[in-house]
Amino acid sequence: MDIVYSLEIGAVAAVAAILGSMLGLGGGVFLVPILTLFFGIDPKFAVGASAVVVVTNSVVGSTNHLRIRFTNPRLAMLLQIATAAGAIAGALYGVLADPRVIYIVFGAVLVYAAVSMVVRSERRVTAPPPGAPDTLRLGAAFRDPAIREEVGYIPINVGWGMGVGVGAGVISGMLGVGGGVVMVPAMNLLMRVPVKAAVGTSTFMVGMTSVATAFVFYSRGFIDPTLVVPAIVGVFVGGQIGSRLTRRIKAQRLALLFALILLYLGLSLLLRAFGVEMPGQA
Amino acid sequence: MSENHLTDEPAAARAGAAGTAELAARTERLESLYDAAVKTLFWGFRLGAALLALGIVVALVKGEPLGHEADPIPDVIAMVRAGYASGIIDLAILWFMLTPVVTVIVVAASFWRLGDRRYALLSLIVLAILGASIALALNR
Repeated sequence: MDIVYSLEIGAVAAVAAILGSMLGLGGGVFLVPILTLFFGIDPKFAVGASAVVVVTNSVVGSTNHLRIRFTNPRLAMLLQIATAAGAIAGALYGVLADPRVIYIVFGAVLVYAAVSMVVRSERRVTAPPPGAPDTLRLGAAFRDPAIREEVGYIPINVGWGMGVGVGAGVISGMLGVGGGVVMVPAMNLLMRVPVKAAVGTSTFMVGMTSVATAFVFYSRGFIDPTLVVPAIVGVFVGGQIGSRLTRRIKAQRLALLFALILLYLGLSLLLRAFGVEMPGQA
Repeated sequence: MSENHLTDEPAAARAGAAGTAELAARTERLESLYDAAVKTLFWGFRLGAALLALGIVVALVKGEPLGHEADPIPDVIAMVRAGYASGIIDLAILWFMLTPVVTVIVVAASFWRLGDRRYALLSLIVLAILGASIALALNR
């Protein structure tokens, strides 16, 4: 094992996880651009490593969300049909795609994430009356520790949610990110799921979505253990630091700074697609 | 109008609270599913982390360089039996990847036990989709 290389990758993964954890985006959104732009790693190996890391992150993160009932298992399984199928399609395209396509799509996703960070919107969900229509039995409730109350909800627009899920899956499969960046706002704004339940359900789902991605990349030999192992360790350590920092620092106060980082990485990837390298990049 | 508004607001709040109580009771009926999923993920991560740590230690002790490509799945067990660190690390990576798949099986079984055939079936469809990606990896 090349210790120095492993430590570098581990440190980068930790930074990616700290940023991802503070923003609730997961580490993959930062990991892939940093590995490709600053380490010159082939984007397909970076995506493969990121997919495995996202699985591991979801395995760790989901336990807490399940314990406090933020996760809605029925909603997760229903939407997962769409996202997992989308992820396989996206990954099958991703392993064959020209790297420039990956740079363009990833760049566009990062620019979208940067903009949505500044223009953050959240829909408040009102509790449904007893016997409210819920033909798919997707309604659930959880205790919100912030307001010390039970919060009940019944998701609506399920068909649209599944449609967005296919798109989120395709993006996840192509780019090795979890898809939470798309699914959390979709569940909240479109399906009227409270944000905490949307995050809990999405965290549980991204593990399964990324499994589909990871196995497709595995099948084509794009899983590099020298990259995956330090990335898993780094993301685990960074995720712990990030969640502690989130309690001390209000991430929203740093929203503009984080948005600028995302914008810089997004524009760098878009420029890379057209053969332009920014200073200091590999 | 304003009087109606004043009297309707608490009524809507009471209805919302009653609706929430109904949904909370429905969520609590899934307690065994939540517990089983948490246990699967908890032990899945711990066993994967232990395998990964073992692989790293073996690689460092033996000075074994890791390959830049994970071995095909059918070869991994043979590599582990032969004591290669790369085999143990590949197994750890696969273990992490399989943990959510096992969780889907556990969730499907829990829905079935709770009498929720519809979501048991939906979980099996998810499992079939994930199975398709695993089949691709096996045919590498």
